[in-house]
Amino acid sequence: MGENIFVDFTAWLRGLISGLGVPDLFNDIILMIVKLAAIIVFIALNATWLVYMERKICAYIQSRVGPRHHGPVGLLQPVFDVVKLMTKEIVLPKNVDLVVFLLAPVLIVVPPIVAYSVLPFGKDMVAIDMNIGLFFLVAVTSLSTIMFWMAGWASNNKYSLVGGMRVVAQMVSYELPLVLAMLGVVMITGTLNLSEVVNAQKNVWFIFAQPIAFLIYFIAGVAETNRPPFDLVEGESEIIAGPYTEYAGMGFAMFYGLAEFANMMVISAMCTVMFLGGWLAPFGLTFIPSWVWFFLKMYLVIFIFMWVRWTFPRIRVDQLMGFGWKVLVPLSLANIFITGTGMYIYRAIGW
Amino acid sequence: MFGQGLLKGLEITWGRLFGKKHTVNYPYKRIEMFPRFHGRFQLDVDKCIACGLCVNACPNKVIEMEREKVGKKQFLTKYVMRIEYCLFCGLCVESCNRDALRFTNVIDMNQYRRKWVRLTLVDRPAPEAEETPEEAPAKAAKAEAAAGKAPDKEG
Amino acid sequence: MKTQTYYLNLGPQHPSTHGVFRIILELDGEVVVKATPVPGYLHRGIEKLAEARTYTQVIPYTDRMDYLAAMLMNWGYVEAVEKLMGIEVPERAEYIRVIVGELSRIASHMIATGAYGADIGALTAFTYTFRDREYVIDLLEMVSGSRMTFSYFRIGGVAADFPEEFYPAVKKLLDQIPAMCDEYDGLITGNEIFQARTKFVGIIPPEVAVDYSLSGPVLRGSGVNYDLRKVRPYSVYDRFDFEVPLGKNGDCWDRFRIRIEEMRQSKRIIEQALEQMPEGPVLGKVPKVIKPPVGDAYAEIESSKGVYGCYVVSDGSPKPYRVHFRRPSFINLGYLGKLLEGWKIADVIAILGSIDIVLGEVDC
Repeated sequence: MGENIFVDFTAWLRGLISGLGVPDLFNDIILMIVKLAAIIVFIALNATWLVYMERKICAYIQSRVGPRHHGPVGLLQPVFDVVKLMTKEIVLPKNVDLVVFLLAPVLIVVPPIVAYSVLPFGKDMVAIDMNIGLFFLVAVTSLSTIMFWMAGWASNNKYSLVGGMRVVAQMVSYELPLVLAMLGVVMITGTLNLSEVVNAQKNVWFIFAQPIAFLIYFIAGVAETNRPPFDLVEGESEIIAGPYTEYAGMGFAMFYGLAEFANMMVISAMCTVMFLGGWLAPFGLTFIPSWVWFFLKMYLVIFIFMWVRWTFPRIRVDQLMGFGWKVLVPLSLANIFITGTGMYIYRAIGW
Repeated sequence: MFGQGLLKGLEITWGRLFGKKHTVNYPYKRIEMFPRFHGRFQLDVDKCIACGLCVNACPNKVIEMEREKVGKKQFLTKYVMRIEYCLFCGLCVESCNRDALRFTNVIDMNQYRRKWVRLTLVDRPAPEAEETPEEAPAKAAKAEAAAGKAPDKEG
Repeated sequence: MKTQTYYLNLGPQHPSTHGVFRIILELDGEVVVKATPVPGYLHRGIEKLAEARTYTQVIPYTDRMDYLAAMLMNWGYVEAVEKLMGIEVPERAEYIRVIVGELSRIASHMIATGAYGADIGALTAFTYTFRDREYVIDLLEMVSGSRMTFSYFRIGGVAADFPEEFYPAVKKLLDQIPAMCDEYDGLITGNEIFQARTKFVGIIPPEVAVDYSLSGPVLRGSGVNYDLRKVRPYSVYDRFDFEVPLGKNGDCWDRFRIRIEEMRQSKRIIEQALEQMPEGPVLGKVPKVIKPPVGDAYAEIESSKGVYGCYVVSDGSPKPYRVHFRRPSFINLGYLGKLLEGWKIADVIAILGSIDIVLGEVDC
C-alpha cells in the first residue's frame, strides 16, 4: 500500500510521454527534470518544516510553547517568516565584493540539492542510481565550504572574516573523520552504490556492526552542518553570525534557513542510509512503505541533532581542531583497522 | 567518566521536552497583578485636597498640578502626569495623606504617539469662574512654582 | 611570512557584552594581543542627579544602577543615609531587608548563571534561569509592586510590610530552589564542554584580585574568603548561619560555580530570617523632612556583584551635597584589560561573562 506510488508515478509519466511520441532521449531528460524539480520542492518544503520543527523543539525544551498564532498550532509560522524575509531589503554594505557577495547565498544551496540526486529515498526511489554514489555525495557536500568562505571573505567585515576562517578550518578537518567513518561501512559492503549499501543491511544495520563509526559520523556530521556544539561559524555570542553577519533578507534566509537545514537533511539522510538501514523496515513492518521508513529514520536523526543543539554549549576553536585531529581521526583510523581485521578473521573462519 | 555530564544534560532537556510549559498566552490570557502592583495611576478627585505633596515628592517632576482657590478650599482643576518620565517608584502615592492617589493594576499605558502618553487624571474648570483676569496668571505662576521648587517645601 | 595584527571592535552593539560595553581588541588571528575596555555608553550621571534630589528621592535612581539586584542597590544608599543621621532601623525592617535582599541576590545570580550559559553557547540554560527568575521576581513584585526597579527601601526601614500571601509563596519558592540549582548544575556546570571552555580560563591570582580591589564572586572565585556579610556583618547578618563558597583556581568555572552555590546559601539565609523574624513596625522614627547633620558617611554592603559602597556628604540641607557609589561591577572590570591578553575571542566572551557586569552599574 503506497509502497510504489512514486515509482508507479514515474513509470506512468514515462508511459504518458512516450505515448505522445517523444523519443526516448527527450523522455529521459524530461523525467530527469521532473525528478530534480521534485527534489528542489522536497528540500524547500522540508526546510520550511524544519524551521518550524526547530523552533517548536527548542521551545518545548526551554519550557515554552513556541509559535502558535499563525495557522493551526503555528504551522504557518515558517510561511510568514519566509514572506517577511523575502520582502526585506537586501542590504549591500560598503566595499563588498559584489559578485562574490551576491553569488554565495545562491550557490550555497547547490551542493545539498546535487547531493540529493543520488540518495535513495525508498526502494528503487533514487533519481540517479550511480555506482559511485557515496563518493559523489562526499565530493559534492564538501563544496559548501567554499560558499561559506566566499560569504565570509566578500562581506568586508572582520566578524565575517573570522567566521569564514573558522568555517574552512572546521569543515575541512571534520570532512576527514566523516569520510573515514563511512569507509568502515564501505569496507564491509564493498560498494559505493548507496542502494546496495542499504540492501547490505538486510540482516543487521551498520549502527550495530559499526557503532564507533556511527558515533564518529554523527559528531563529524554535527560539525559539518555547523550546528551546536560545533557552531563556531555562527557563534552568535562571539562573532555575531559569522559569515552571515552582513546578509539581510533572503540572502540570510538562504544561509540560515535553507542551506543549514538542507545540509542537515543530507547528513541525516546519509546517516540513515549508511547506518540505520535506509529504507529497510525494522521488525518486518513492511506494510509501511519504505520511503516512510526512510523519512522516519531521517527525522529521528534530525531530532537528535536538534536535541543536542539545545542542550550543549559551544566548543572553542582550538578545542574543536584538537578534538577533530587528535580524537576523531585516530579513532576512525582505528575503526578501519578493526573492521579490516574483523573482516579478515570472519573470512578466515569462513562466514 | 567523560561524557557523563553530557548525558545528564541531555536527560534534563529530554525531561523538559515533555515537562510543564511556563508560557502564558499573553494577549488572550492575562496574569492577575498583585494588589500592590505599580500600574496606571488613579486619582480620587473627591478625596484630593490639592495639597501638592505628591508634586513635591516626585523625584522626576512628573506631576503637573493646577489648582484654584474656590472659597476657602483649594480646588483641583488640572492634574497631568508626564508618564513618559515616570519612574513608578511610588513616592507620590506614599506621600498622599488622603489616599487620593493610588496605583491600579492596569498595565496597558502604551500609546502610538509619544504625546498621547501623558496621563491626564483631572481636567475640569473651577466651579465658580469669578476670578478677575489679573489673578489668573498669578495663580498659574503659583502652581508652577509649587511644581518647580518641589523639594524645598517637602513636609 | 609577514603577519599583521588587526583590531576588532567588540561592542557596544554586540550580543554578549551584557549591554553596551565596548572592548577594542587587538587580535593576532584569534588571539588577543591587547584589549582596551571602553565603558561609559550608559552613563546617566546618577551621582550628579542625586545632588538635585532630596534624600528620599534618590532611592529610585539607585534602582537604575544594578537593575538586576535593585533591592541591594537601595540598601547600600539607605544604609549610608541612616548612618549619617543615626537612625535606628526596626528589627523587623532589618529582617525584611535581608529577605528581599537575598531574593534579589538569587534573581541576580540566576541571570548571571543563565547569561553566562548563553555566552558559552547553551541558550537553553538562559531560558531556564529566566523562567525561574520570574518566580523570584513575582515575590518581589508582591512585596514592592514593581518587577525590576523596586524602590522598596526607605530611609529608616522599608516602604511596607510583607503582604499575607507572601509567606506561603516564599516557602514554596525556597523549596524549589535546590531543584533549580541542581538543574543548572546538571545542564551547565557538569557539562564537559562547558568545563573545557571555562576551567583554567581567565585565571585571576588571589593577590592580584586583592591588589585590584576586586570583590564579590570574582574575588571569592580566587579563593579569598572575603564576604562582607561574614567579615563585617551589617544589618542582622551576624545572626544567620551560612557558608561562603570559595573557588580554588580563580578561573571562570570557579566564578560561575560560586554563584550557584551562593543561591543555595541565600536560600538558607532566607529560611532562617523567616523563622527569626520578629513582629513590629517596618519604618523607624524618621523626621518628615530628612535633613541630615553636616558631615559624611560611608556604608557598604555585599551586593550580588561585590562590595557596593555608598558615600554621602551632607551640607545640612535636604539635598545631599555629594553622593558617590562604589559600584562593584565597575571596579571588577579594572583587571579586565590585562586578564584578556593571550586568550581567544571565544574566551574574551567567557571571561567577560564570568565577571558578571551590569552596565547600568558600570557606567552609573
